[in-house]
Amino acid sequence: MRIFGLLLAAIVLIALPFFTTGYVIYLANILLTFTVLCLGLHIVIGEAGQFSLAHAAFYGIGIYVTGIAGTKYGLPFPVTMLIGGVAAAAVGFVIGVIALRMRDIYLALATFAFGEAMQWLFQNWDAVTGGPNGLRIAPAHLFGHEFVTDKDAYPVVVLFALLMIGLTILISRARLGRALRAVRESEVAAQAMGIPVQRAKLLAFGLSAFFAGIAGGMFTLFSTFIHPESLGFSTTMLALTMVVVGGLGSIGGAVGGAIVFGLISELLRQAPSFQEIAYGLILIIFMMYAPKGLFAFLADKFGRARHG
Amino acid sequence: MANPLLSVENLTISFGGIVAVRDFSIAVEPGTIHALIGPNGAGKSTTFNCISRLYKPNAGRIIFDGQEITHLPSSAMAGLGIARSFQNLELFNELTVLENMLIGAHVHCGGSFGDRLAAHPPAVMREIDAIIERTGLAPYRETKARNLDFGHQKLLELARALAIKPRLLLLDEPAAGLRNREIAALDTLLTDLARKEGLTIIIVEHVMALVMSISDRVTVLNFGTKIAEGTPAEVKGNTAVIEAYLGKEVALHG
Repeated sequence: MRIFGLLLAAIVLIALPFFTTGYVIYLANILLTFTVLCLGLHIVIGEAGQFSLAHAAFYGIGIYVTGIAGTKYGLPFPVTMLIGGVAAAAVGFVIGVIALRMRDIYLALATFAFGEAMQWLFQNWDAVTGGPNGLRIAPAHLFGHEFVTDKDAYPVVVLFALLMIGLTILISRARLGRALRAVRESEVAAQAMGIPVQRAKLLAFGLSAFFAGIAGGMFTLFSTFIHPESLGFSTTMLALTMVVVGGLGSIGGAVGGAIVFGLISELLRQAPSFQEIAYGLILIIFMMYAPKGLFAFLADKFGRARHG
Repeated sequence: MANPLLSVENLTISFGGIVAVRDFSIAVEPGTIHALIGPNGAGKSTTFNCISRLYKPNAGRIIFDGQEITHLPSSAMAGLGIARSFQNLELFNELTVLENMLIGAHVHCGGSFGDRLAAHPPAVMREIDAIIERTGLAPYRETKARNLDFGHQKLLELARALAIKPRLLLLDEPAAGLRNREIAALDTLLTDLARKEGLTIIIVEHVMALVMSISDRVTVLNFGTKIAEGTPAEVKGNTAVIEAYLGKEVALHG
């Protein structure tokens, strides 16, 4: 079943550019970018249990830093993306240091405030970000080859999405992943097992921001323009909804949630004024009736139906 | 007499002006089981939490194997070989028995790069399987801790502490809430660990039958002060101890 699913996903990913048009490829690029964004949120919230509501800010840092490194300084794209990811991670560490002193609702509020502050910075630091007018992003390039269209960017976006999924699985299976879950489940017990809880939280924040930064870099591969309006709380909310809808604490849930909910949100774009209400409603409904997420909910229903 | 593995010297700790433990000292010999008993609120768990570095004492020193650990963080204890269990169960509830055990072995999974990345690090798996087998948790390997019954949850607390491969094991009421059959199994397990494998155990416990059966030495606390110490037989006959537990009247007439 699982192998079949993976095979199907591989076939779809490979066949997509041969059978579809620009819009579908653009959509695929966006969904894969959101997948990586969600994986970052999965690490900090799903694995380590630390509420972070500043994900859009790290995503934004990734976009601006990668975009500026490519556009202004003409660096080739893998380098620009790495710089973007590292810059986001560095800011994530700093936020982590502050966040270590708080928990639960206070942590949520503090990270929310940071996210808002960063958006304000994106909107007002005209010299660097272009301010409210946004920033034009030059096409990424490598060895003289330019990535101009969505189709050009697509293979690279797929590659990065797969790399980041692989990295998430690796972390989750490893000692680090177990340590993060231990911190989520019981800090005092984690400490007694020799896990430096503060350092584990810091790492979770840093890694989560790194993933968001890489997602930002992926965005610059197929986009020519970034507007700070799209880097506010609604984007954090969108990623959070995706992770919760998919199933908090599971990698499959984060990926599935990003894709399923990404499609829903694309449909909702026709009615932007209802968009956030719809996100909120879906989030509330899932938290009430399917707190383990869409896929666990379906498996549960499906399993029950099968077993009578 | 051998050098003590753990000694606590003149420990004092107070919470907002109330002295919970006053000028308390013990020396725990290697390979022995040393019980801390006393009525509720006597300061047993407070002492216990000081030794495991969860609480900061106001005064006094804690020395483990010749090294002062009074000011080390609690996360440094596992690496030194000091493991503890928790009175009110602090399991990793949403994780399986095996994963709880793997986290217990955290300090032994950091050796090579391969061990750090492995889902089941070869360096620790044999030890973990042996402990799971020995504590009777084998049928529940893939069960989430929160789905275990209470007795098995208590066992997992103990098993996870053993995964640290400790030299000193601190047990906070491991028998509380267990059935007689389970207490008998615990008795055998702890005795084996100390007598056959030379593990040193400090136990806080209210189940007197267990304390009297397994302990080499018993220290009695009342109102934060040590009132007696000796072998189980000596402590049982001590007037101050009987008074502390049953009141003055009974001690006089009994």
